[in-house]
Amino acid sequence: MRRMLTALLVGAFAGAFFVAPVAAENTLEKIARTGILTIGTRTGSPPFAYVNKNNEWVGFSIDLVEQGVIPEVSKKVGKPVKLEKKESTPPTRIPLLSSNAVDLIAGTMTDTPERRQSVDFSVTFFRTGAQLLVKKGSPIHGIQDIAGKRVAAQQGSTNAKIIREKVPTAQLREFPDQPSAFQALMQGQVDAYTNDGIQLAGLKAKAPNPGDLEVVGDFFSDEPYGMAMRKGETDFKAAVDTGLKGLIRSGKYFELYDKWFGPKGEVPYPMTATVRKFIEDQGKQ
Amino acid sequence: MKYTFNWSVLWTGQSGHWLLQGVLTTLEISALAWILALGLGILFGALRTVPFRIPRAVGTFYVEFFRNVPLLVWMFFWYFGVPPLLPRAMQDWLFNHGAEFWAGMFALGVYHGARFSEVIRSGIQAIPRTQMEASVAMGLTVPQAYRLVILPIALRLIVPPLTNETLNLLKNSSVALTISVAELTFQTRQIETYTAKAIEALTAGTLIYLVLCVSIASVMGWVERRVAIPGLIVRTG
Repeated sequence: MRRMLTALLVGAFAGAFFVAPVAAENTLEKIARTGILTIGTRTGSPPFAYVNKNNEWVGFSIDLVEQGVIPEVSKKVGKPVKLEKKESTPPTRIPLLSSNAVDLIAGTMTDTPERRQSVDFSVTFFRTGAQLLVKKGSPIHGIQDIAGKRVAAQQGSTNAKIIREKVPTAQLREFPDQPSAFQALMQGQVDAYTNDGIQLAGLKAKAPNPGDLEVVGDFFSDEPYGMAMRKGETDFKAAVDTGLKGLIRSGKYFELYDKWFGPKGEVPYPMTATVRKFIEDQGKQ
Repeated sequence: MKYTFNWSVLWTGQSGHWLLQGVLTTLEISALAWILALGLGILFGALRTVPFRIPRAVGTFYVEFFRNVPLLVWMFFWYFGVPPLLPRAMQDWLFNHGAEFWAGMFALGVYHGARFSEVIRSGIQAIPRTQMEASVAMGLTVPQAYRLVILPIALRLIVPPLTNETLNLLKNSSVALTISVAELTFQTRQIETYTAKAIEALTAGTLIYLVLCVSIASVMGWVERRVAIPGLIVRTG
């Protein structure tokens, strides 16, 4: 019995350390060898990345990669590069990146100082802030009203963290994915669902009766979205940044923005003057 | 790619507190679910072996219905499916008093109850038929025979497979995080969110599950030795 236990423990420790990858080649070398750039993205976050009615996996973040990052990376490695998409959620995206399963997270990931200790971020490609989604007629009009109320958040998101810090009396319920949190709001398990304003606008637009839902409150956080990659990959980061900045400078970025967020887009979300100025500055860096 | 390990994230800040809370929630939900599962298991396991057709059919229906649907689906069923059937005021009360915990407990208990039933049925069927015949010949009714003779022997026979199922139940409690129960796996993810140190957090979670499971296994091992029926179970080692 004792020998068996020892074997078990040794096995478990070894298992834990095998998870730590020790690849010698860097990301660009890997892409040059395989001819594939693998991104981790979302399936249910319209319009950044989602599966549409025709069962195609599309979105703003995916367009930015296809039209900005891919051409630049192809140029760097000197051969055409194919794009491969994998599903990644807030709790899985950093592990996917660390384990080399994906090379770039291009979805809806907020650039934060804590995350910067583990991964590198590209230039900011979108800017939003946390708000609340409630049923029409709800007494909740912003973060000031949620004390004691049941609030859903997505686990692994920055919004949950902010609620916990700013309103510790709110009853926070964290769900691993957006559909369950949304379901909980629709059924009354929770009174409000917090996420980045743009995500909530997307959910509302996709809901069966968008008129029954409201996105309320001022931004109670600043959420700059960036694409994440493994730390210390200077050349790969340069290629990603150059690609994105190129899109901004050429104006292509704004065309894509209009395609997804314009009045006829999947989720109408007009760009404020401040945000436009900020994005233009990102292009000039 | 170089990954810098920083194990101190596990005890600095709130991490230690979160892990402890996670362990407590995991143990709490598993213990309650285990009691429920054992009760259902004994009831339906016995029903599946009685010499009457209708109770046998009821037992078979319970087992096949609950063990053949994925646990994740049962979690959603008890959390999203059941509350709308209750009166509005009761729903609100439940939602304010840990509905997710109770939904998770029921999902786990009822699902594993079906699996426990099979273990208990196999224990009952391992007992020679003559025991039942002797009990009836002594003047016991069938329920009395089960309560006084058959079940006490069966329960002493099935400790090893029951240990196995108990460990499964404990590990399966992690599925409850999908309905926002803040158990151990949830808390390890929480640490990962706050510190972006995934490998450290997952390793801590893995080791804690391992310690919990090995402890349960050794307690059950002790129980197994204590209750073994001399002559019926040949022990080695």
